Amino acid sequence: MNDSVYNFDRIAETRAPSVYHDDISDLHFVPAPCQVACPVGTDVPSYLGYIWEEKWEQAFEAITATNPLSSICGRVCDAPCEPACRRAQSDGAVAIRNLKRIVMDKLGADFKPTPIPVSRKERVAIVGAGPAGLAAAQDLASHGMEVHVFEATDRPGGMVAWGIPGFRLPAERAREDIDRLMAKCPGIKLHLNTPLGEDGVTLDELKAGHDAVLLTIGAFKGKPMGIAGEDGNDKVVDGVGFLYRINAGERPTLPETVVVIGGGDVAMDACRSALRMPGCKNVKVVYRRGPDEIPARPDELHGAIAENIEFVYNTQQERIETTGNGLILHCVKTEMGAPGEDGRRRPVVVDGSDHGIECGMVIAAVGQKTESAHLADLGLMGRDRVATDWENMRTADAKVFAAGDGAFGGSTIVMAMNHGQRAAYYIRQMLDGVEAPIPYHTPYRTRRVPVAQDIMWEKFPRQEQDFHGLGAEPAAFPEIESTYSVEAARAEAARCYRCDAETGSNDYSVHNREDIFSMARTNPVDIRKNRAMLAKRVRNRSNPFPESRPATLDDLCFLPANLSRLVIDPYREACASNTDLMGKLDLPNPILVGGMDNAPDQVFNGTMAGVLSTTSAYVGVRAPGNGAQWIQILQPGATTASKQAAVAVFDSAIPADQWRRASEDQLLGVRLRNGADLSGAISAAFEVGCEVLLLDGAPGTGGWPELTGTPDINLLFETVMTLRQMKREEHIDLIWFGGARSGTDAAKLIAMGAKAVAFGVPTAMAAGGRIDGGTMVFSSDMAAGEIGAAVGNLLNAQIGEATMMARCTGKTKLHNLEPEDLRSITLATETATGIPLAGRTQPSAVSGIQRPESMGY
Amino acid sequence: MKRIDLSAISVREGNELLRKMAEQEDIIEVLNPDAQHHIGVGLTSPCTVKIRGSAGYFCGGLSDGARFEVDSNAGWGLGDNIYNGTVVVGGNAGAIAGVAIRGAEIVVKGNMGSRAGQVMKKGTLLCCGNANFMAGYMMYGGRIIILGDSGERVGEDMSAGDIYVAGKVNSLGSDAELIDLPADELDSIMAFLDKHEIGFKGSFQKIHNAGKKLRYATQEPQRRSLPFFKHSAEMTYWNEKIQEDVFVKSQIGRYRIRGYGTARALPHVSDIAFRKKIDPDRIESGVVDQVRMRTEIGGINGAEPLKLSMPVMVAPMSYGALSASTKRAIAIASGMSDIAENTGEGGMSDAQRGAAKQLIFQMLGGRLGWNIHDMKRADGLEIYISQGAKPGLGGQLMANKVTKELAEIRGIPEGIDLRSPSRHPDILGADDLVIKVEEFREATGYRLPVSIKLGAGRVRDDIKIAAKDGFDFIELDGMQGSTGAGSSEVIEYVGIPTLSAICEAMDALDEIEFRDKVQMVLMGGLRDGIDAVKALCLGADAVAFGSSAIIAGGCIACMQCHIGQCVTGIATQNPDHEDRYSPEQEALNIHRFFESVRWQIAAITNALGYDSVTQLSRDDLVALTPEAAAITGLPYEPEHRDETDAIAIKAS
Repeated sequence: MNDSVYNFDRIAETRAPSVYHDDISDLHFVPAPCQVACPVGTDVPSYLGYIWEEKWEQAFEAITATNPLSSICGRVCDAPCEPACRRAQSDGAVAIRNLKRIVMDKLGADFKPTPIPVSRKERVAIVGAGPAGLAAAQDLASHGMEVHVFEATDRPGGMVAWGIPGFRLPAERAREDIDRLMAKCPGIKLHLNTPLGEDGVTLDELKAGHDAVLLTIGAFKGKPMGIAGEDGNDKVVDGVGFLYRINAGERPTLPETVVVIGGGDVAMDACRSALRMPGCKNVKVVYRRGPDEIPARPDELHGAIAENIEFVYNTQQERIETTGNGLILHCVKTEMGAPGEDGRRRPVVVDGSDHGIECGMVIAAVGQKTESAHLADLGLMGRDRVATDWENMRTADAKVFAAGDGAFGGSTIVMAMNHGQRAAYYIRQMLDGVEAPIPYHTPYRTRRVPVAQDIMWEKFPRQEQDFHGLGAEPAAFPEIESTYSVEAARAEAARCYRCDAETGSNDYSVHNREDIFSMARTNPVDIRKNRAMLAKRVRNRSNPFPESRPATLDDLCFLPANLSRLVIDPYREACASNTDLMGKLDLPNPILVGGMDNAPDQVFNGTMAGVLSTTSAYVGVRAPGNGAQWIQILQPGATTASKQAAVAVFDSAIPADQWRRASEDQLLGVRLRNGADLSGAISAAFEVGCEVLLLDGAPGTGGWPELTGTPDINLLFETVMTLRQMKREEHIDLIWFGGARSGTDAAKLIAMGAKAVAFGVPTAMAAGGRIDGGTMVFSSDMAAGEIGAAVGNLLNAQIGEATMMARCTGKTKLHNLEPEDLRSITLATETATGIPLAGRTQPSAVSGIQRPESMGY
Repeated sequence: MKRIDLSAISVREGNELLRKMAEQEDIIEVLNPDAQHHIGVGLTSPCTVKIRGSAGYFCGGLSDGARFEVDSNAGWGLGDNIYNGTVVVGGNAGAIAGVAIRGAEIVVKGNMGSRAGQVMKKGTLLCCGNANFMAGYMMYGGRIIILGDSGERVGEDMSAGDIYVAGKVNSLGSDAELIDLPADELDSIMAFLDKHEIGFKGSFQKIHNAGKKLRYATQEPQRRSLPFFKHSAEMTYWNEKIQEDVFVKSQIGRYRIRGYGTARALPHVSDIAFRKKIDPDRIESGVVDQVRMRTEIGGINGAEPLKLSMPVMVAPMSYGALSASTKRAIAIASGMSDIAENTGEGGMSDAQRGAAKQLIFQMLGGRLGWNIHDMKRADGLEIYISQGAKPGLGGQLMANKVTKELAEIRGIPEGIDLRSPSRHPDILGADDLVIKVEEFREATGYRLPVSIKLGAGRVRDDIKIAAKDGFDFIELDGMQGSTGAGSSEVIEYVGIPTLSAICEAMDALDEIEFRDKVQMVLMGGLRDGIDAVKALCLGADAVAFGSSAIIAGGCIACMQCHIGQCVTGIATQNPDHEDRYSPEQEALNIHRFFESVRWQIAAITNALGYDSVTQLSRDDLVALTPEAAAITGLPYEPEHRDETDAIAIKAS
């Protein structure tokens, strides 16, 4: 992977100014390397996720949100995202550009944007309708300004329109972006055939009629090679000039052999265009460095090679000799020397390697420059571009800004758009009267598309677009590649690792992981980066346990067996879970079901089948009706226990003199809620001979009382302490109901003194229920048998989890768990349960916090 | 023939002499063995050792290629972990005879004790008399031949291999079944008996694995990403995670499995701050050279210590959980940064040994990939009792990660759903552990430091035992430690936080006045040099990084570790996935991560006003939360919290 996206900026993440939608401060978001590499911050992972789901409109939105030239970019973007892709160094980067293309092919031409009306009085003039100018125009017009774009030629697009041949980018594709832009921003007025200068519009005129002027004049003048025989030779042309003619519609007949000099994207377009011209049979590309150094995008290079263009590497042009109808390009061989200032190794001439290459034409594609006599006269030009300050995109004239290739030299479409957006920001800040604006930073958004939960995700090999090369009629410029099929697009999108995805790990959240990633991409002697990372890492997280956090079962953990207790083999050794209530009711395990009284009949009956399958018991008002054990709850108002019930549990609000068992062998119990008079109710329970206390820790009332929030586990502690004070702990069994979610929760409750635990909401969820606000909604179409199986599965899983906790502590009986097997991790939970904080053997004493008496110590 | 008289010299001296003599002699006689332990341990030269009397524990253990003949009886662990070679006992053998053998032939002419052939991989264990209970317990391969009766639960939880009983089968173990004996196998048994001149006439019953346990019809649905735990003020009790768990469990009917570490927030060194404000801008570029960081670990009792360029090591992670390429990358990085790497469970590869300058060899209850040759070429030994992610539970490797290569190095059948035994066959208590450690030292000539890896639980008690059992250092792993696969509930809820663990450990050592007698390496959720320095301040002598090293080397937390379909080719044995991993590149990344850690340790130590990491102390820390204060006993000074926006840091 390209380490460059882990540069200093990545550590010292600067947020985009607040006028932008930027998600960078989201604690669960760090932009993926592809998004960071994209100069306009495209939310690549989201649009790939949408493609997999075939949500084309959402993908279109993600693509076009910051990129007005998305259809263009879908075909010809330099795609710096791809070398940054974490899959690049294995079986190839995700073909992000091609995936953009299919989305734009589907929606790009016909999309009807909502127009943004002009809402401000300021007017801005932009000179040049290339990518930088158009991106700036969109940004300014989107903020309500009227924008006048002055274009020297007869069509908008700049280098896109004049520098890229139609076989790579059909003109209609470029036009659809511009049409969409103009439809979206009616405040943009395009003035074609209006060059900057006396023959069009002067800068003074622009300044007079507008509040600001942005110069995005491009770099259209090919640089000369500076070798003998070049000047005045009509068989030697420059690359951009050649492409300009081609894009104007010319199809000149060329000599049989054409040599293109240079290794950049202009050279690639020039060589491939030349080959398509009548008369031309061979094209050679002469490049002074080797194949590893050639700057052309790999796709273009491979395309050119596939079209039989010959690459002559390590060869440097020396002079051109004209021979009758032809040319001899005299060259020398080179080899790679020491790196120069730009870090690239410099070619060194090999002595005695002179040789000649015969050809009929030389196209020099060795760089471009900007020319404007008008601006030069005004003193705004630097050496070969408009003199511009990168920090604020201003020129020497306070009202005039500049951006794009014309200001910073030849670059890429997407980088030019970044320049345009950057300039637009500083223009807006100036117009808003902000003297010292917050520095611009590309905004990064995430649409939080969930990672596909699909078995085939990331498994496919790289998908290629079908390559057609020259085609039957090369000069007609048929497209070289066709767009993916939907299947291929989905398969390619599925190759994305989704390294933007957050996972629910506190210690290794995406922020922490990305910091570690950055550390792993830091040169040990890079003091600036090391300092920035230290500054970032040394800060503390916010308190994960603020006072508002209630005591909860989550905040208890088990102490495993190691040396001081014999480890058992949790995978294999048995752990008994049989549960008898006061020696009178024998249950195979303590995992019960409760609180399903308000479920629809089919759900209730299905659930009871599940209860029966695990020989569990049901705790509730309704009778299971299928022979499953029933622990009957008698609500206030009810008076007579059912003979069908194994246990009759009276609510403590029912007067104690009505607590009566229906038969001799029935167990008697009382239900206690928090806030009830515990010692009074317990004393009463003993008086009438109860064997069971049902502790109802559910926080609410109504049909699904567990849904209100966190159960009050202090009820269990208080009950146990009350019994202990009475010295009658062994004389009654406790059944817990309220907020138990897992076998682990059950094991904790058992360790704290419960004999059995009834599951309400989880059972309802297994039975197809969905939590909707404070109630359960059963809309699933599960048959009764499926419900029974699902409930049975859940109960079995809970038993497995509960016994696994016991095994980990070294217990071969679930009911041997005790408070001493637990530790709290928060003070609130310590207080509510009497379980000491992890790392301590006694409840702690931090000043100002009341400690309870320890449980079991 | 040479003679060694153990009435005149110690076993340690005797073993050294034996190793030396065995290089030249064919037969060596050991006189007056007096049932002493560890006789012949670690012998790797082909010779015959005639023990004239009875041998104690682990006779002939950890050897390869030698033949031992014991005239009388042998104690437990006879032939422990022998690769190849032969042991013949004239009398009876104690418990776990032939434990973990990987190709040896063991002949016990009398009776043998319980759990004979436990976790054996290959070879033959013959008992001419009766075998006590649970012969073939958790065996992975090879055969046990019992000419007499077998005790209760024969073949208990065997994964593979064959048990032949000529006498009565008292009862079958869990997941074992009786089948008819194939004729060719009888021929092979008889050939073996003939070879060892055992006359026998009779027939056999065969016992093998029934294949019913730990095999599931319904696969757990594969999920990418964990739902986030919801906390505190925004707490939703019935949150997304709970709902997902319930749904999955209602489909599969058992507990869920995943990789990675604890997901929820726990007290952590992040809740502790430095008393003195650290100003990164004032750190000088040469700070790494200004702070002494070299740390020796394990030399406290005279062994050759690990020499670390900083108080950092790589946490134990197995080849198995991780791909071979990843293990190689980590090994290379550890060498480049001059710290110690650890094999984890499952053996040592040549590539890893070659790449790592210093390598700790981890040894677990399942004896997977454990052998004398790798012990000898290690730089430190580590006995695994448990790990922070899943203490009390054994290692777990899902079937699709148990490839042919992996099965071979571990000595287990290919493609089994491996759940490593959580208990060592021969460590049932602190006393056994002492004898086990002694066996390691005997086998490796007392040259290597021996450590113990403990998942944090009853740390106060466990540390005292570990310290008094004479380990050179302790590797303490808090519950934030990660794993390749484990029960998600155990990962989340068993163990105590790393912060609690180190504090309890230090209290425990103080209580028995052992601070200077054992060294402590802390791990479990430590992520950078800042976490490392805090651990050092709290008393650790060094720290270990596991997950962080993996993340530095490309992990994106795709949560497929347990399934083995790691998208970046790290936690996988699938060649298609592993191909995505570029070990050389990732080695460089991991190395740079460690160098960044080094810089951070140096920078903070320097900023606190010290020139050596040994000067760091608790006095440099304050607690920022009431929980951290209560756990650590540090002053509760929340005003030290740096509340700066975690995102908008300006370039300095």
